[in-house]
Amino acid sequence: MEGKPDVTVTSANRKFAAITGSGRKIRDNAADWHNLMLKWEKLNEDGLSAATNIVNIRRSLVEELPSSSSSSSSLFAGGAAELQDECSKLQYVVDKLVVVVMKMERLMRLQQGIQDLDEFQFGPEGRMCPLFHTWKTGQFESTSRFLLDIFSKELKLKQTILQELAHTASADLCMVYLSCWLHQPFVPPQTRMTLEALLLETGHRSV
Amino acid sequence: MSRPTFTPLRQALVKSFQTLESNQKLWASALSECSPLMASLGNLAEQSRALSKVHIPDTPLGTFPDLEQRLRFKLLQAMDTVLGKLNEKMSSLQSVRDAISNQVSTVFQLYEQNRDVLDLPTVTKRSATSPSIADMMEWLQDAERHYQQQFLRRTVLLQMLRADDLSLLESAPKRWKSLESPSAEENITDILCKVSFFMESQ
Repeated sequence: MEGKPDVTVTSANRKFAAITGSGRKIRDNAADWHNLMLKWEKLNEDGLSAATNIVNIRRSLVEELPSSSSSSSSLFAGGAAELQDECSKLQYVVDKLVVVVMKMERLMRLQQGIQDLDEFQFGPEGRMCPLFHTWKTGQFESTSRFLLDIFSKELKLKQTILQELAHTASADLCMVYLSCWLHQPFVPPQTRMTLEALLLETGHRSV
Repeated sequence: MSRPTFTPLRQALVKSFQTLESNQKLWASALSECSPLMASLGNLAEQSRALSKVHIPDTPLGTFPDLEQRLRFKLLQAMDTVLGKLNEKMSSLQSVRDAISNQVSTVFQLYEQNRDVLDLPTVTKRSATSPSIADMMEWLQDAERHYQQQFLRRTVLLQMLRADDLSLLESAPKRWKSLESPSAEENITDILCKVSFFMESQ
């Protein structure tokens, strides 16, 4: 009897802690989305400080370049090593971001699998009775896809910034790279709301 | 000259200086919270300026089709957030100004009401520990005028800002700082020192 437990878990007051099957999986996925997005934010901050350092070190190196006395050349070497160091830091951050997006892709595949199972069990319409409050199983999938799209695009942008930042001479372009890194143009304002909606639906946030 | 007639006035004076003292601190803390906000506003303007100068399609970012609009939107949104926070701080400043103005006008009202008993010798009489009523009223007016002016100047500065006028936004932090008037603030501290014995004796 697949329908019966569904009826009991949809009651609004009930915590969804003891659920099993698809509901359990979706609930865990929602928590994973939350954690991955937190991790992304943290990495974004780390990356920003590395990126800012890269721009500053480069600027001071360029300023020193015209005076080519022996004392400044050792200074130059020191600056270059520092630059290399910050670039490795940024590389490390971007590598971590790649891992985050890979995990998000995995969540998306899991969600897709749950959706397929749903269709297999209940036909193309999916289950009639929602797993949690109101969402149909397909909505979890579309939410995951929405979030994944955002972070994949943002990751591509960050990878481009990583490649170009230390080789850019124009101060304005450097500024644009930094503000792209900080403001994350491909993460729209409704991202947070979407996550909150997902958490609310799956019972991580109380109604 | 019966003393009770101008006791209410003295009490109102004490209360005014107490208000002035506590609000001077509130004002300073609200104002100090504004500086970082103004700095980030200027910084956002700088970022917008850089974005306008760069022709995105000619850069490695050209592969991202709507990047410029998206970034511009994000910058505007960030400015909006900062301006919202500044607005909150401005209302704290406004309440400081209002609190002081209210107290001062109470003092002046009381003076008007008791004018016939407060003759010139009475209002100008002072001792080693207590300044004259006239002096104290003048100082209160000075303080009130200072906060009123400061509040209006800062409000006008913020109201003139437009999202599309980058040079104005960029210069805003500097002009905000130029409105500071440490001498007037010191003056208020001086006033509070001068009335400290009077306050204790009441």
